Amino acid sequence: MPPSNDLKDGGELRIIGFLCNWCSYSGADAAGVARLEQPTDLRIIRTPCTGRIDPLFILRALINGADGVLVSGCHPGDCHYVEGNFHARRRLETLKRILPISGIDPERFKYTWVSASESGRWQETVREFTAKIHALGPAPRMTDVVSRSKDLSLEGLLLQDENGGA
Amino acid sequence: MHIGVFVCHCGSNISGTVDCPQTAKAAGEFPDVVYSTDEMYTCSEPGQESIIRAIKEHNLDGVVVASCSPRMHEATFRRTVERAGLNPYMFEMANIREHVSWVGRDKALNTRKAIDLIGMAVAKLRNGTPLFSERFNVTRKLMVIGGGVAGIQAALDAADSGIEVVLVERETTIGGKMAKLDKTFPTIDCSSCVLGPKMVEVAQHPKITLYAASEVDNVSGYVGNFTVQVRKRAVYVDWDACTGCGLCTEKCPSRKTPDPFNELIATTTAINIPFPQAIPKKATINPDYCLQLTKGKCGVCAKVCPVGCIDFEQQDKIEEVQVGAIVVATGYDLFDYSVYKQYGAGKLPDVITSLQYERLLNASGPTGGHVLRPSDGAEPKHVVFIQCVGSRDKSKGRAYCSSFCCMYTAKQAILTKSHLPDSQSYVFYMDIRSPGKGYDEFTRRTQELYGAQYIRGRVSSIHQHGSSLVVRGADTLAGMQVEIKADLVVLAVGIEPSRNSQKLAATLHISADTDGFFMEGHPKLKPVETNTAGVFLAGCCQGPRDIPTSVSMGSAAAAKAMVLFSNEQLESDPQVATVNATRCVGCYKCVKTCPFGAILESEDRWKNPKAEVLPTICKGCGICSVTCPHGAIQLNHFTDNQLLAEVNAICPLPTI
Amino acid sequence: MNVLETMKKCIREALPDLDMVMGWEQGFDTLHATPLFMETAEDVDRLILGPTCVQSLAVHLPSLKGKKIGVVVKGCDSRAVVQLLSENLLNRENLVIFGFGCDGVVSLSRLKKKLGALDFIESAEKKDDRLCIEINGEQQDLPFDDICAPKCLTCSRPNAIISDHFAGPQRTPRIPAKGKTALEKFEEKSLPERFDFWKAQMQRCVRCYACRDSCPMCVCRDHCVAVSRNPHFVSQEATASENFMFQLIHVMHLAGRCVSCGECERACPMDIPLGLLRAKSTEVTSALFNQEAGLDQEAVLPLLSFNIEEETIEEHD
Repeated sequence: MPPSNDLKDGGELRIIGFLCNWCSYSGADAAGVARLEQPTDLRIIRTPCTGRIDPLFILRALINGADGVLVSGCHPGDCHYVEGNFHARRRLETLKRILPISGIDPERFKYTWVSASESGRWQETVREFTAKIHALGPAPRMTDVVSRSKDLSLEGLLLQDENGGA
Repeated sequence: MHIGVFVCHCGSNISGTVDCPQTAKAAGEFPDVVYSTDEMYTCSEPGQESIIRAIKEHNLDGVVVASCSPRMHEATFRRTVERAGLNPYMFEMANIREHVSWVGRDKALNTRKAIDLIGMAVAKLRNGTPLFSERFNVTRKLMVIGGGVAGIQAALDAADSGIEVVLVERETTIGGKMAKLDKTFPTIDCSSCVLGPKMVEVAQHPKITLYAASEVDNVSGYVGNFTVQVRKRAVYVDWDACTGCGLCTEKCPSRKTPDPFNELIATTTAINIPFPQAIPKKATINPDYCLQLTKGKCGVCAKVCPVGCIDFEQQDKIEEVQVGAIVVATGYDLFDYSVYKQYGAGKLPDVITSLQYERLLNASGPTGGHVLRPSDGAEPKHVVFIQCVGSRDKSKGRAYCSSFCCMYTAKQAILTKSHLPDSQSYVFYMDIRSPGKGYDEFTRRTQELYGAQYIRGRVSSIHQHGSSLVVRGADTLAGMQVEIKADLVVLAVGIEPSRNSQKLAATLHISADTDGFFMEGHPKLKPVETNTAGVFLAGCCQGPRDIPTSVSMGSAAAAKAMVLFSNEQLESDPQVATVNATRCVGCYKCVKTCPFGAILESEDRWKNPKAEVLPTICKGCGICSVTCPHGAIQLNHFTDNQLLAEVNAICPLPTI
Repeated sequence: MNVLETMKKCIREALPDLDMVMGWEQGFDTLHATPLFMETAEDVDRLILGPTCVQSLAVHLPSLKGKKIGVVVKGCDSRAVVQLLSENLLNRENLVIFGFGCDGVVSLSRLKKKLGALDFIESAEKKDDRLCIEINGEQQDLPFDDICAPKCLTCSRPNAIISDHFAGPQRTPRIPAKGKTALEKFEEKSLPERFDFWKAQMQRCVRCYACRDSCPMCVCRDHCVAVSRNPHFVSQEATASENFMFQLIHVMHLAGRCVSCGECERACPMDIPLGLLRAKSTEVTSALFNQEAGLDQEAVLPLLSFNIEEETIEEHD
């Protein structure tokens, strides 16, 4: 395996970005052209549109142990495909609000809008989100050993037995 | 698979902060990578040749180039691998310049990130499939939106090459802002003498159809085959019959109609022809001021019209036009300077905009070319010009330079002197920007030959004092306050995108920058293209431009359209959605979400409901893909598995 | 005529025009019902209606599209039918719906917890608000609320909301008991506690897909992404993370579509409280889109539509 596999060596965390090609990916390019320095944790996946971003990709990343997922696209109303980010907004908001039930910190997932000309805003977004993820620390993994506290015993879990249905 | 990875140094652009040899070595460890190397300039000819050589020598069936943004060179390298016999879609780029070397300082971390990005590209490539374009016919007809000088140039160049052109103009005449100007810099030649013949040529050109007083309502389709709905506004005159004799305008009793052609410093009649050289030279009724249309009684024009072309019942008409390409040349409007309280907030009659001043200077203007100030019609003696009103002013949300105001102000100062030899001009400026051919000499001439006094500094207040204006400001070079008693103040008001251009951007699916100007495809390499294939830009709609540049852009946009039309057929982008009919259950959820109507409710041969994609209409957004719960509709080149592979490459699937 | 006889009469009358009518019959004992597929008048004799008719028969409908089918539905089952109709997955003209007012159904897992193994059931019968069971030779008389399906305790729609024939009287909806719902109680836990909870649960999950197969809204059937390689969202390894991924796929695919029938949780052989995930999803989509699934045949799925200005979504900077 390549040496980059354990990111934590360099003090970095695993942050995945899903960016639409037309606005945010361009904006990130423009930030590069302007040499706007950013933390190095983020790895960007290019998609044609935020409308292409399946919430399941984000869940897959988080369950695989990503410490943060950042989605960015065109501002609502400016979508290259007219409606893509309107659909994305509903899907991503739904995901963000459902996440807490899974125990995955919704703060680890952010979606935002950055246009092709907003290179400075992109730099800010990356800096802020990376700082937030570092403040949260590495994400708990499904593979970590479960602490067998009393609260987790099966008796405590069958909530519906007491006061009504789930 | 046999994958080759090419890591680009980009001179020192990448290798300065990324260890390229180590990156290439690490890339060799990824699955299916059989060859990896680093190159000084991968996009150069030797760089591309080395890719072709490696493909042949190592029998590669997939290539990853780690260099700049795919938005920069993806097309270049796709052609490269195609030359070596590979399918162009068996190629991926890792963006290790814009997203790595240019934004990260730490070389070790950058190198690690570069390796990761290559790992993602390799993973995506391993899940890729060759894609093939479809060919489709092209409608060899060009639409130009906006009949200013840029649009006129684009229309004429395209028409002269034999292409049918449809020119759509919102106003009742073409000519745009240039038609209002008196003289042009730096030659002081008459604007209408330069533009007039071109306007006539548009009117007479057998290949050009002109839709004046018309706007684009809706655009559908795709490059080569756009369907445009043009709304022909009601002008209450049958233009096919109108001869432009002007009898109606002489008799019209409604003489207090605001005259937008004269920048509202004069009035006109409710039925009018904007100016004598107007193209088309047809009368138009302003329905807000026409007595017949507002009060129901008058009809004088109808009585005097010798051809009986007045039609008070006329309605807007929508016409559908098929075109293969569109040039957008919608130009600019002036910034609303009334937000500047210190300049009188638009309330002082003798504080006027530069365009209003052009009309005062113009022989065909309301004063017949005599410079007479609006308040009392007196000849001004002291004229103050203020630059950068709504330009380079962050506090007013206008951070950009409007680019041509320095030059026209110099021109107006010269013209003031030639119209009024006893006058004295003062120019308050921030910097003099005169980078064109003969431009700097011109501004020097204004000062040295015509005696205009240039004062570097901002004006803090203008107030009325008797019949004159007191202009207070700073002279930052002399380090003192100055006060000038002026008879007329001309504001070099900054420009902004033409009104409604935001709506047009949405209609055309093109984007605009933060200032509202349309975005070019690439700031350097695609200045007249947009991100939507077949839509090109010319003139000030893309950013502030002077006349020569607008004309060049018009020609450039026409040339781009000609290149497009030189093909009998075009190749479709194969990065479109495809339906896996075995998996499709025919719920048509994808049909409901497709913004382009590119998915049909179809059936297979056993009459089972199945979705079907029209590949030429599909624009490749992928909304449908996420809609489908069973993954039956996939976007080529951005399939679920390709994107999941990228996710899994950075965050490997956890194992127990 | 009682409800059952009325229902049988309705079905017998309609049957000649139909390929089949789905209902329930007694299973291997009086506590277990099993789906009954009625093709002849004699089949109709075996029909039962009562607290053991737990399965939602709507689950079979999409795969029978094209046939003329009749289906017997409780209130909760009828919402699934409405939702399937709204998603163009059923043809209304090929469907005859036999509705009735449901009096609540038993939860075998709750019963098992009260009584231990449910091996030798002599009889089981609901009398008013109690369930009388003769088990292992002993007579048990239990308050129905203690052993009914959790969803019945808060049931607001006991009567079929869509039907061509409705047998028997309308039932009055339950007024939910005061106190916290299971979801509210669960949400008192911290995020790490919740994560550990699911980790433990997902280690128990055996990926039998009973939750999916019993779900009337899971219409992908043979093409479920949980078992496909293209797309390959989830591997076949039965690890906690892959099981959780599968469960969350199910949640996301049901967002705005879940009709809260509780079949997933009922079908789970490991008693994993999947209802928590569903309840949260329903809470979220109702709050965001002001829309509940399975109530309006004409409704458009919230995740297939949008508003240019979303009042409920804060603009993300």
